[in-house]
Amino acid sequence: MASIPVIQSQQEHFEEWQLPDRGKVGMLTLILGESALFSMFVLAYIFYIGKSISGPQPAQVLDIPVFMTICLWSSSFTIWLAERAIEHGKMKIFAGFWALTIALGAIFLGGTALEWKRLIYHDGLTITTNLFGTTFYSLVGLHASHVVVGLIMLITVLILTLTGHVKQEHAHRIKTLALYWHFVDAVWVIVFTVVYVLGR
Amino acid sequence: MTEISKHSSGHGHEGQIHIPANTAWPLVLAFGLTLSFGGILLGIWITVLGLLLCLISIIGWFRDVLPHESAEYVSVEVRPFVSETTRKVVDRIELPLLEHKPGELLPQATLIAGLKGGIFGGVAMAVVVMIYGQLIHGSVWYGVNLLGGAGVADWTNATTAQIAEFHWGWFLIALLIHSTASILMGLIYGAMLPMLPSRPMLLSGIAAPLIWSGLLYAGMGIINPAMNSRISWPWFLVSQLVFGLVAGWVVAHDENFKRIRKMPLAIRVGLEVPGLIQENHQGESH
Amino acid sequence: MADQTLPIGGVVDVTELKAPKQTFLEWLAEWFITVDHKKLGILYVVYAMVFLLIGGLEALVIRLQLAIPNNHLVSPQIYDELFTMHGTTMVFIMGMPILVGLANYIVPLQIGARDMAFPRLNAFSFWMTAFGGLLMYYSYIGGFGLYGVGTAPDFGWFAYAPLTSPAFSPGRAPDYWAVALIVMGWGSLGAGVNIITTTLTMRCKGMTLMRMPLFTWLMLVVSFLMVIAIPCLTAAQGMLMIDRYIGGHFFDTQAGGSAILWMHFFWIFGHPEVYILALPAFGLASEIIPVFSRKAIFGYPAMVAASVGIGFLSFGVWAHHMFTVGMSGPTNTFFVIASMLVGIPTGIKIFNWLATIWGGKIWFATPMLFSIAFIFQFLVGGLTGVMLAAAPWDWQLHNSYFVVAHFHYILVGAIVFMVFAAIYYWFPKVTGKMLDERLGKLHFWLFLIGFHLTFDFMHIPGILGMPRHIYTYMPSRGWGMWNMIETVGAFVQAIAVLVLVFNIIVSLRSGKEAGNDPWDAWTLEWATTSPPPAYNFAVDPVVKSRRPLWDLKHPEDPDWKYE
Repeated sequence: MASIPVIQSQQEHFEEWQLPDRGKVGMLTLILGESALFSMFVLAYIFYIGKSISGPQPAQVLDIPVFMTICLWSSSFTIWLAERAIEHGKMKIFAGFWALTIALGAIFLGGTALEWKRLIYHDGLTITTNLFGTTFYSLVGLHASHVVVGLIMLITVLILTLTGHVKQEHAHRIKTLALYWHFVDAVWVIVFTVVYVLGR
Repeated sequence: MTEISKHSSGHGHEGQIHIPANTAWPLVLAFGLTLSFGGILLGIWITVLGLLLCLISIIGWFRDVLPHESAEYVSVEVRPFVSETTRKVVDRIELPLLEHKPGELLPQATLIAGLKGGIFGGVAMAVVVMIYGQLIHGSVWYGVNLLGGAGVADWTNATTAQIAEFHWGWFLIALLIHSTASILMGLIYGAMLPMLPSRPMLLSGIAAPLIWSGLLYAGMGIINPAMNSRISWPWFLVSQLVFGLVAGWVVAHDENFKRIRKMPLAIRVGLEVPGLIQENHQGESH
Repeated sequence: MADQTLPIGGVVDVTELKAPKQTFLEWLAEWFITVDHKKLGILYVVYAMVFLLIGGLEALVIRLQLAIPNNHLVSPQIYDELFTMHGTTMVFIMGMPILVGLANYIVPLQIGARDMAFPRLNAFSFWMTAFGGLLMYYSYIGGFGLYGVGTAPDFGWFAYAPLTSPAFSPGRAPDYWAVALIVMGWGSLGAGVNIITTTLTMRCKGMTLMRMPLFTWLMLVVSFLMVIAIPCLTAAQGMLMIDRYIGGHFFDTQAGGSAILWMHFFWIFGHPEVYILALPAFGLASEIIPVFSRKAIFGYPAMVAASVGIGFLSFGVWAHHMFTVGMSGPTNTFFVIASMLVGIPTGIKIFNWLATIWGGKIWFATPMLFSIAFIFQFLVGGLTGVMLAAAPWDWQLHNSYFVVAHFHYILVGAIVFMVFAAIYYWFPKVTGKMLDERLGKLHFWLFLIGFHLTFDFMHIPGILGMPRHIYTYMPSRGWGMWNMIETVGAFVQAIAVLVLVFNIIVSLRSGKEAGNDPWDAWTLEWATTSPPPAYNFAVDPVVKSRRPLWDLKHPEDPDWKYE
């Protein structure tokens, strides 16, 4: 007969029972899925390099977007500084770097918008023009949409910070959110390499 | 993460447990998203409605979890848990007393024997193939090139003279295929022979090569007709039998193999039963 | 008694919840707003069962159409819609939800957690799945195109280009197919993220990864497959929508696009999808077979390694669906070898199940009957799989009824059988009532006979050359008798499923009380009441081995001494 009284049994064995953080695992898993999504569009882009049968080719119309790329990648650095600031409870510095991150992200988006405007009105390249147009706008557009989603979340946090709702104890969630932003930046490394270096 | 959200790793909490409160926002958000996607098919106003629902539900959801996750408190009174079984007697698989502890032997011992068998068998088979090439086509490389050249299908209508020459590429490919296949087959012998009934030489030396030669004979015409037309099946069978006999002999005369064959089947198949596997006395495993 | 050998604290409480008087509407509303993993699990399973009946009805009409040569029971257009919707339904709207639903219910209980890691995301995922399925079926009403062409999708469940291009599908059918599956894809992604996070971060004390029950392990692997594979499909469908709506050229061969690319993209998703459906069945078998053999699972570490191995391999075999496309020799060879490699871990699993049964005290309850049938049918389906993995064989039989028979052997003979076993096994836990054993055995034997009538004989017209998706055939082909037998078998299966439905209704009303642990099982879900309270365990369990309840029941002979 195994009749068990209530016991908080063997506490001493399990003092060190540690499990990974929920938010972080969830975010990393989501990033894994997003990577799969991106890799399909990247594969399609690579598959169709040089296969367009008409219209402008990448080498004719694409310029390497140095400035906006630097902006996006440095935003990864500023958001890391913001993470460090909130861990140490320096909320002013956090808000500053956070806002700077948003500004850099916005500059990147603006750069993309100008690039697209030039491509559409000056070079006559739209999504229907040829395979290059189709794959280029889908891939870069998919990335840009992720930047937009990231910016919306960053701005929400900024508003909450300015109204005093974000405190040091939320550093955990902020870091989870920052993971997403790092991912968006990392994807740009791939997109940049494929579209502006290999594809030209 | 607030403490409440860690209900998983729960503590006693004075007879109260918090569970996340019911909420309609996930439902509304899912409906909104479906509508905003469905709007592609059903019309722009559906998308607008869907996006509106999304916005409302995101805000609602947000307020649900921030700043504090809304939870319900359930009071519980914990009582003893009785777990009983009517099957109190534990049967054991009876094993005779052993002179060796099986842990000393299993299962790597026979695998090493199998590896040796595969290598020896492979060498013996290669010798037979080369003899065949020399006798019938006047070149020891004939059989080698047949495997290396046709194996990767990069020859087109090669003449017999071409096949008889020595080619580095084909030789390396043939060597790779032949050694991999020989070693794998040897390992299978090492793993399986201890488990099978008596007469290991009959099984490994004659029965197994006959079976796979028959399978290859039946299938090669479909798989690779070019190769099939050049294979001399009687010689092929001879080389396989030589492989089987040599590999089987090496495995069957291995000392560990002989010891293991005397043990009961339960040990030979690696059954996990108390007494066979190491008892862990520390209380905490791993 | 509270000595060191007792691994679990008081895990159950017997406090009567003061059930407040509810009106019917309140009760109903609670199902819509619930975030409880158990209720969501039930919702998933019930939703999937409804679509099992719908998809089954579609299959019956298909079988009736094919029963005799030169038949015109339904029009070719409707027939095409039927097989497309049957496939799509059974894979996406029935298959995945029913397995995710089982995982939803069982996984948190098995790892001693109070809920999933993200309960609200869990609800969101279910509702996305549900609305996606409804949107898919709305295509019957809303999918009309020009000249009334097409309502529901009619291009096969893999939707090959260029059949989905505006020229060949002028209606809205491909759009419904793509959009509904994208919506459902979000649900599956959410479910995958949730299950991974739950198993990695919510395990009770002492539940190391190598002590997790095998069903939980398998669902962890499956969730990784879902998280990686489903976005691939979403991406491909996104490209399809770009092609159809804003004039892209991804799959437009006239602009240099490639229809083959769609095949690659679909099967990069499609083959892992097959394992997303099959691996949970392996997990269910690994739970049920030991309990009814009264022996611990044989080779637990090998089972885990094999499962993870299958997971990895599943991403390297997709082009074995495309041997007839005309790929290069080395490519064919790679996919032949990779596909055949899958046979190794699955073979390990079959041997482990057999070794678990070997020497056991077998208890032939209904779940065990289904599980035994599963082992043999899975073996046969796996062997025809190895045959089809050989490219030359596949050149002969690709897209024939031999292939249809092969994958139904896995999907029905393995997966559906294990799902039925799981329903009989966990129904007592979920409802507190036993399912009737006599009706269960009737269900089993009817379904077994029907299954073998249909799918054994389906191989033969396949070898004789009957192609998949064919509308009807000439009497001179000699396929008539085989097809008639298959149709009869399909109806026997349908009767068997009705027996199950009847059994569920009867047992819910007047079934035998189950008690906490009717099967004398060993995993943690049996250490709480049936049905479990909303919080699952009043006190967090603490485990010391893979079979915590065995340790409790046999304190003189616990597992943790040997693991």
